[in-house]
Amino acid sequence: MKKILLIGIFVLLVLSTSTVFSLELGRFDGVTLKACFIGGGDYEKIYEKFIPEFEKLTGAKVEIVYKGNGFDIDKKMKVDFAAGTVDYDVCWDHTSFFSQYIDFLEPLEGYFTEEELKDFSPKVIQYCQKNGHLLQIPRHADISSLHYRTDIFNDPEIKKAYQEKFGKELKVPETWDEFKDIALFLSKPPEIYGTQFAGKEEALSGRFWDVLMAHGGKIIDENFKPAFNGPEGIKAATMLRDLYQAGAMPPGMVNFLWDDVAGNWVNGTIAMYTEWYGWYSYFQNPESSKVAGKFDIARQPKGDAGIHSGWAGAHCFSVTKASKNKEAAVAFVKYITSYEPQLFEAQIGYIPVRNSVFEAIIKEAEQSTDPLAKKRFELMKLQINEDFTPPPIVAEWIPISNVLYPKLQAIMLGDISVEDGLNKAAQEVEAIMEEAGYYD
Amino acid sequence: MALDTHFKSRKDIKKSSKHDRYLSWFMIIPALAVVVVLIVVPMIYSFSLSLTNMNLLKPATTQYIGFRNYMRLFHDDIFWRAFWNTVIFMTVAVNVEFILGLFIAQLMFKVTRGQGVIRTAIMAPMMFAPVLVGFQFKWFFNDQVGLVNNLLYSLTGQYQIIPWLIYYPMNLFAILLGEIWMSTPFMVIVFLAGLVSLPTEPFEAAAVDGASGWLQFRYITLPLIGPFIYIAMVIRSLDLGRAYDLVRIMTGGGPANRSEMIWTYTYRLAITNNKFGMGTAMSFITVAVSFAFVIYLFKQLAKSRQEVY
Repeated sequence: MKKILLIGIFVLLVLSTSTVFSLELGRFDGVTLKACFIGGGDYEKIYEKFIPEFEKLTGAKVEIVYKGNGFDIDKKMKVDFAAGTVDYDVCWDHTSFFSQYIDFLEPLEGYFTEEELKDFSPKVIQYCQKNGHLLQIPRHADISSLHYRTDIFNDPEIKKAYQEKFGKELKVPETWDEFKDIALFLSKPPEIYGTQFAGKEEALSGRFWDVLMAHGGKIIDENFKPAFNGPEGIKAATMLRDLYQAGAMPPGMVNFLWDDVAGNWVNGTIAMYTEWYGWYSYFQNPESSKVAGKFDIARQPKGDAGIHSGWAGAHCFSVTKASKNKEAAVAFVKYITSYEPQLFEAQIGYIPVRNSVFEAIIKEAEQSTDPLAKKRFELMKLQINEDFTPPPIVAEWIPISNVLYPKLQAIMLGDISVEDGLNKAAQEVEAIMEEAGYYD
Repeated sequence: MALDTHFKSRKDIKKSSKHDRYLSWFMIIPALAVVVVLIVVPMIYSFSLSLTNMNLLKPATTQYIGFRNYMRLFHDDIFWRAFWNTVIFMTVAVNVEFILGLFIAQLMFKVTRGQGVIRTAIMAPMMFAPVLVGFQFKWFFNDQVGLVNNLLYSLTGQYQIIPWLIYYPMNLFAILLGEIWMSTPFMVIVFLAGLVSLPTEPFEAAAVDGASGWLQFRYITLPLIGPFIYIAMVIRSLDLGRAYDLVRIMTGGGPANRSEMIWTYTYRLAITNNKFGMGTAMSFITVAVSFAFVIYLFKQLAKSRQEVY
């Protein structure tokens, strides 16, 4: 058995290596590529390992002129593009941000063959395009799954009480209506809250988008008019308000960002919530987490439209129009998003966007002692291929989010009614879109 | 010897004073050039930007729109909330820091041994980056695992979740506490420098006349360190008018814009919402308010000097 496994891994390695080296990158001796990349934590491991390899293969040099978190890079790139001071050939990009920079990015469809793109999740590639142009190539993605406490859901007393109250068995919610009922039922604050969401900035707008899309709603319609204040949006915002007002979510939630919600989860005060995959090792570490070994994951609930929530995003690479070495820059993007670097990042914990990498990582996970390892990757693959839905691909998404989230907070806090809050936000969004020239 | 041989004629005086005036203007040209290039030109440029609809993502479509940005801001509820929050924040912080700073400086002034060590220790909060202080106080006031709620639980025995950072004005109070903790040492150091530089004679004379400690403080110390007080208050007011890091980390100006300040809103408008023209207009309103504040404080400073001397 061991022998077969070893042979399997060897074949896989040979295949993967051949995939990388079968790339026709070309030689770029004497060319120095400048790059503006996301930095910090595990993001940089891929640069450390694969940039020297690329330099060896092509003769080009890669110089990272700026590293920062996504929001800092966004700020820098916007200012650089506006001032015409772009001095980098390759840049970090993201499905939520790239539509802001489209005038300044090199369309890539002419550089990539269909064959080169077919391994990527078609859904992700779809959201890397705008106005018929492929403007970025995905590196890895992120999407959320429902995290729930198995010790609570399997507790006989809780199950019995639920059966008595609702006349049906307590199970993992498959719809947002069930989610709401179960969250309200499981809440015993301050010891345990039924659920939570990140409660501010794009994190809150995004979670609202999660529920809205499941009910069949949209942030903006095909005419770029705000559409989130329709019945689907009202239902989504009402759920947020009801859960908050009933104490089924922590009162401080409207000030929470990702690290706060993850902190509450490991502290054992939350029964279930939707969370990104990236925190998994933190959650399963008994030294940092009270819920290690006591939780499971599931696909996000469906809404009235029968759609599973799938607010997602993908980190990508783009080539700037200002680049004087576009061929070399494209070669770098091809190399860094190829099979081997993606497998390397998947092994660190990032969600790959190539189906061949999913196959490999699922095979690897079969040997893991972690009971959730295989399930996680299979669920990720399913979601990345079927549920992956970033927010609207318009440059105004962040400004829209900045209008929307304070109104959602006001709705949850009871400062304004659901209808008034959403209508007011819609008016402001319409003004943003009008000013941006969408209705000319 | 006739007197007129010693003194220049009126015509000569006029000529030489004219010459001096030209020379003095000529001498300050380099300094003036630096001020014009580094301050006046950028100010005029950014003011001109505030009269446009400049969008960071579409710089090519920038158009002159007159004072429309200013008019929109004056009709914007969030702007006014941010404005009044900043005014309240500035007023409370400057005054509390002033009272605490003066009190601690007085205590330290009386210490005869180990003043150096105490001075260093008291400056410790100033050494932290505001971002770190923000995270620290955000954790203190966290409703679930925060120090403050846990302290209240230890004292009262009742577990109550008080969402400090959510409800107004509790969230403003929490931010204020962080700001006061971080910046009071600045006031202490300036006031201590003032106290050390005071002459001893007026105090000796007052003691001979039987003036109590309070009277000495009220009628000698306070007027004499007046200039130090005003300088410290001007610097702190300008600092507080630009409050950003602490607010950004602790509440982000929310929830629902409840703790919005001028600079968090300016950043939101100019950078995250890409409305650079509007953001610049808001900055100019802030600069105008700060100017008014500084002029008022300097007038008070001049008045206090007249009273002393």
